[in-house]
Amino acid sequence: MNEEIRAVQTEMERFGYIAEPEIATAVFLAREMRRPLLVEGEAGVGKTEIAKVLARMLDTELVRLQCYEGLDTNTALYEWNYQRQLLRLKIAEKEGRDPAKLEDLIFGREYLLERPLLRAITRREGPAVLLIDEVDRADEGFEAFLLELLSDFQITIPELGTIRAEHIPFVLLTSNRTREISDALRRRCLYLYVEHPGLDKELRILQNKVPGVNAQLARAVARFVHRLRTREIRKLPGVAETIDWAQALLRLHRDTLDAETVFNTLGCLLKDQHDLKATSDSVVAELLEYAAAGD
Amino acid sequence: MFAGDAPGMVAQLARFAGALRAEELRVGLGDEIDAATVLTHLDLLDRAEVHRALRIAFKLPREAWGIFDRLFAQYWDGDIAAARGAPPTRPQHRQKPLQWKWDGKRVRLVAADEEEDPTGDTPNYSPEAMLRRKPFERCSADEIAELERLIARLAPRLAARKTRRLVPTRQHGSVDLRRSFRHALKSEGDFLRLARRARAIEEPSLVVLYDTSGSMEGYTRLLLAFAFALRRSIRRAEIFAFNTSLARVTPLLSPAEVERSLMELSAGVPDWSGGTRIGECLAEFNARYLDRLVRRNTTVMVFSDGLDQGEPEGLGAAMRELRERAGRILWLNPLLADARYQPEAAGMRAALPHLDYFGPAHNLEALERLTRRAWRA
Repeated sequence: MNEEIRAVQTEMERFGYIAEPEIATAVFLAREMRRPLLVEGEAGVGKTEIAKVLARMLDTELVRLQCYEGLDTNTALYEWNYQRQLLRLKIAEKEGRDPAKLEDLIFGREYLLERPLLRAITRREGPAVLLIDEVDRADEGFEAFLLELLSDFQITIPELGTIRAEHIPFVLLTSNRTREISDALRRRCLYLYVEHPGLDKELRILQNKVPGVNAQLARAVARFVHRLRTREIRKLPGVAETIDWAQALLRLHRDTLDAETVFNTLGCLLKDQHDLKATSDSVVAELLEYAAAGD
Repeated sequence: MFAGDAPGMVAQLARFAGALRAEELRVGLGDEIDAATVLTHLDLLDRAEVHRALRIAFKLPREAWGIFDRLFAQYWDGDIAAARGAPPTRPQHRQKPLQWKWDGKRVRLVAADEEEDPTGDTPNYSPEAMLRRKPFERCSADEIAELERLIARLAPRLAARKTRRLVPTRQHGSVDLRRSFRHALKSEGDFLRLARRARAIEEPSLVVLYDTSGSMEGYTRLLLAFAFALRRSIRRAEIFAFNTSLARVTPLLSPAEVERSLMELSAGVPDWSGGTRIGECLAEFNARYLDRLVRRNTTVMVFSDGLDQGEPEGLGAAMRELRERAGRILWLNPLLADARYQPEAAGMRAALPHLDYFGPAHNLEALERLTRRAWRA
């Protein structure tokens, strides 16, 4: 493997993210080629976490834009501080200033409220990590706007002119695939699909994220969840759920898994009524057997 | 610039990209350039690394990995001879305009010049109002042609849906401070007029599932025309045909190539005019497409008479699952035109509790009624 990719992998691990070669390769390439990285995968596989770790790795600010239906430029880009502007206007009136000059007065940078996208490109200290989370939830129109931003890294504010990026941020977009991302945006980015972690990776994540857990329990938990994911259920538990569950077990002072404990804590893993009901005694018995095997 | 020390590499990459395209994967020139750039950053002797990186550079979604892996093995593992075999051939499409003919039994395509009209129907003008109420299965060929025109006009109205995004309006809606402020500046800071904004009308997302079984024969053609029209005005419309199995026909309905679409459609839907297994087909839809195509603002339209040969439990379960995801589910049943009809078929009864709207679909008026029902307010 390329030494630099291995270095990225080691570095990510140092900051608490167990990265498979695929993830390390994508992060490395996105950084080298200065391209945004589009990360897709099911909920709970650790897409957002990649951005957080990157920000820590690069020792920079994480600027996060959470997308939702109806997201507009006022929330994503910038907004004027109307209250301050109004106040300034009143003062100007008292001072008897020339009305024609009012506009220059109140449309200055100090009256501008920076929203995430503007913040990400105006950070002076160095490139920020810009996380555009769940981009699939935003309207398609917003996607088109993003496309423009991601190719030029500049924002035009009619009253103020064009603001160019001080430093090109490292951009990560995530999508849960509730809809397809447009081809144009996909092409602008490099693409990474994150799958549920394998058994070994999940075990390492557990040991990393839940420090107090003993090796035997961690192993049983990882094997149990791994097996559970092979079943026909609606909401597959993600890594976050596995961690929650291990923490819950730790708080309950359990060193081993048994049927009763599993039933009492199953809500950590399965968050769908239908899935909970479908997980009967016999299913849990089978999962436990699998979890205990290989000891 | 691109792996300059290995010019063969770039040519190889181009061939590989061509092979991906031949499998209908969307790979563009930009992706090829990305892939070439990526190669300059890699240890080219590490097969796994090249494999991972190319997948990243070509931006292939998870479903395409199978094809990618297979072609990668062919092109990059020395087995190029196999890959260089006959290039995939696309069927040659006829240039002659095709017409979509209904011979009473099935949809058939004929070239315009072989159009024959043995029945010798005289042009049969019906006033539009009458035509709107006339059941599809009793319409003559000319009336059907007229109906198709009316349906094409109806679809864009269906496509209007309000979103949460706000756009400027003249009078109604909530106050838009940013624009109000700009106006105020023109009058020296006095807010003489408040700018307003309201929810935008936006393209909706729609899934149409229509039954092509024998019992639906009299209606299939016009309902299909309706689906066609919807597809033309709603970009995010997906059309599926089902009878004993499910077929995604959206790719066959590309608006730019209507004629080719029609031809492929009659060839591409298996068991056209056979029996129905609604439950199994819906379950298959859920398994394969639910995650990708259906979300909270998606409207699902089912055109079917609900005469299911499968188990009603299966249909009920599939509908329940669909219900949890979809914004609205409309079931259009041509049998409802008959006032004596009661939804007593086991399958139909299983589906009923999960519907937002259950209505007729036997004439144009019934389809028009849909425009008010299709989207959540």
